[in-house]
Amino acid sequence: MIADPRAVAARWPEPRLRALAELTCAVTEAPWTLSRDHLARAHAAGLADDDVLHAVALGAFFGHLNRIADAVDVPLDYPVRREPPRLERAVPRFLAAPAPVRGEPALDLSRREATAAALARWQAYVARPSAALDERRRAMIAARVGYLLGDPAVGAGAAGGADAAADVIDRELLELADRITLAPWTFEPESYAAVRALGFDDRGLFVPCVAATTAGVRSRIDVCSIALGR
Amino acid sequence: MLLTITGYAASDGLLRETYDRMRARPMPPAYNPGHGGVPGIIEAHSLDPEVMPLVFGTSSTLNGAGPLRWPERELVNATASRLDQCFY
Repeated sequence: MIADPRAVAARWPEPRLRALAELTCAVTEAPWTLSRDHLARAHAAGLADDDVLHAVALGAFFGHLNRIADAVDVPLDYPVRREPPRLERAVPRFLAAPAPVRGEPALDLSRREATAAALARWQAYVARPSAALDERRRAMIAARVGYLLGDPAVGAGAAGGADAAADVIDRELLELADRITLAPWTFEPESYAAVRALGFDDRGLFVPCVAATTAGVRSRIDVCSIALGR
Repeated sequence: MLLTITGYAASDGLLRETYDRMRARPMPPAYNPGHGGVPGIIEAHSLDPEVMPLVFGTSSTLNGAGPLRWPERELVNATASRLDQCFY
């Protein structure tokens, strides 16, 4: 547990750890704010491109675990030396990207061959339609998450959120995608009430959650890779 | 709990098989829960046993590999968790 990661990023005595904390804060909160200045600072602190890529991919992946843990509300099942801090539901949502991040990627996930292959298999599974969620809705959720994170690969259709919604189910699924992406700490029983009322059971609710978090991993990595080159 | 979690003891079929595969993976002792089942973060995926190995297969390529060293990886994970307010 780290009480204040921003303080680590600002003041930790070891430059390498400071740079990793700074990078991870941006990967987690606002990947589109990264720039070539961050990459230069990371290099100056002793991080090679492959270190930065590892931090970006790991931070993005952990974003999935955190979101699923919050969406499911998994109880603590291991001993802790210090009690975790109190959840602050009133913390404002992360901001959505103001515009897609464009440019040539400074980093390329294919340099981590095993990660790229594993993520591609995971994404392919999540994109496949099932009885719980058809292909269009899965793509809609992925596009919405990409839009929120500044992913230039998503189409304009995702931009408005509500505009992309063909019906009330779409609207509620997009709201769920927004919550899990920008404010995963706000989940409570009420968060699922509207989607449940539309006929989704727990298994059915888990599918759009995972569709959103999986898209988040991919888009976060891609946005960081491009943003670090600008 | 907001969505159903089926733990190891209550699992059967594909979920039980997947849990057994997860338990057979090499894992640092620090990640083994004291309750003898599988870690809660794996159980959090119990509603979809098919996605579970895909997620944790990806995890192995990041949490079980370099170039970042283990304490550096933990720093990244703890930083992301704090900001996401995930206290699991």
